[in-house]
Amino acid sequence: MQGSGQGMKTARFLLGLTSVGGVIIAWWLATSLQLVKPLILPPPADVLEGFLDVWNGYLNVPFWNHFIASISVMLGGYVMAVVVGVPLGIMMAWSRWLDWVVGPLLQVLRPIPPPAWIPLAILWLGIGFAGKIFIVFIAAVVPCVLNSYVAIKQTPPELLDSARSLGASRRTLLLEVAVPSGLPMIMTGLRVALGISWASIVAAELVVSLAGFGFLIMNGYRNLESNIVFVGMVAVALIGYAMNAVFVRVERRLVPWREDQDHA
Amino acid sequence: MPDGATQPSIVSAPARHVPSAPLRRNLGDRIEAMPTSIRVGVVLLAWLAVWFAFVELFGVSKDFLPNPLEVVRRIARLIEEPLGAGPLATHAWASFLRLLSGFGAAIAMGVPLGLAMAYFRPVQWLVAPLFELFRYIPPIAWAPFAMFWFGAGSGAQAYVIFTSAFPPILINTFRGVQLVDSRFIDAARTLGAKWWTILFEVALPAALPAVVTGLRIGLATGWMALIAAEIVAGTGSRDGLGYLILQGQQQLHADLTIGAMALIGVLGMLIDLVIRRVESRFAYWRE
Repeated sequence: MQGSGQGMKTARFLLGLTSVGGVIIAWWLATSLQLVKPLILPPPADVLEGFLDVWNGYLNVPFWNHFIASISVMLGGYVMAVVVGVPLGIMMAWSRWLDWVVGPLLQVLRPIPPPAWIPLAILWLGIGFAGKIFIVFIAAVVPCVLNSYVAIKQTPPELLDSARSLGASRRTLLLEVAVPSGLPMIMTGLRVALGISWASIVAAELVVSLAGFGFLIMNGYRNLESNIVFVGMVAVALIGYAMNAVFVRVERRLVPWREDQDHA
Repeated sequence: MPDGATQPSIVSAPARHVPSAPLRRNLGDRIEAMPTSIRVGVVLLAWLAVWFAFVELFGVSKDFLPNPLEVVRRIARLIEEPLGAGPLATHAWASFLRLLSGFGAAIAMGVPLGLAMAYFRPVQWLVAPLFELFRYIPPIAWAPFAMFWFGAGSGAQAYVIFTSAFPPILINTFRGVQLVDSRFIDAARTLGAKWWTILFEVALPAALPAVVTGLRIGLATGWMALIAAEIVAGTGSRDGLGYLILQGQQQLHADLTIGAMALIGVLGMLIDLVIRRVESRFAYWRE
């Protein structure tokens, strides 16, 4: 069986290589034979040039300025969403009064997609940091609240009962039973919120901004430089990937008691 | 904690003041016993009243935050009075058609591909790396390329919806078929079923609930992407609910922006409700 498992692995690797390699070769052929216009699909050489251009300062904005602009705004909104959303979700699950008062409001606001808030954020807070932090906050707070709420609600009753029979106070029940047992799910909410934050900041920057990757992409579009758009998209994808990978590591460190959880 | 959400605990019950505790618990229990719809309705009315009072008491400018009545009036006016391409129905219909075309394309590609990936392992090995490659690009970041490819209009917007609805449909179909109880398939095989019989009469029906769940998630993410696309990639079209939101902002009509947002929320909820109905029709399948 060992041999065939090895064979399967090789076949899998080869097929994966074929598909990714095939797409790259098709890309190269289609552009070098001029089957498609560079505007529709930029040739690999143009993309490389675009990358160097962005790295050295496309339109006099250095690469790291875009990075700092996007990341700082995103983290600002994300941290706010976590600080507000997680305690709110936990308290809503723990106190039915809070649930009754805040729950319906959240249910009404939740179906409004975060990008729909962009114009209102601009109207209220302007095109600077505040407006974008607001959009990220709105987008990220939903999974924070929701997962924390469900996590606490799903505390196994036998855990609560046994702690109660040992004389635990409500405070102890919450902080030492419900929260630790719900932490894996809360962490999942934080991870989802991180991904949504990143997508929202890019969306907000596409609409209006003076720096950041969304700005970079939109500038490439306005100047009809598809290679710049391409580079911007790759940068957004790589940073999103890296953030997710870092978060999964932190998550494993913080909640080691749920090693078995699927991180797919 | 000033409430009685859980049963009176051993420690706290005797310590409580006898006169106040039962009264408070009675109020909470009485509210709890009310039908959910009444409770939610009363609370929502109260929130609307808070909004109204906030605007009126602090004299907030109408361009900044109109009161709820003004929002309703603005939307009511839009039912007859055209803006951009036409009155309200035109915009809602335009958004709906875009959603359907992007979502339809995502189903047409996602479901067969997910089936093939789960059924023939080489297909999975071919597609999975490509899928991983594109997974981390937010759908809205496709908007500029979509506009290069299809022009700044409905085509580009439908493409953005496609990129956001496609992954959940593909993944759920794939997982659904993959997780079908292998005993069913073995049983069918022993009875001499051909592979297409197994696929269409065993694997697909068993995977259907997961597929429908994928469709629901895809529709929700597609709806979200639609609004983003109409705001970002809508420069060429003068219709759609996202266009209304944007118009409100550009002309400093907050009532239009907020009204359109509310409409988007309501329509999104309705779409979800319909597909949940559809989903629950398949629920009896599940154990």
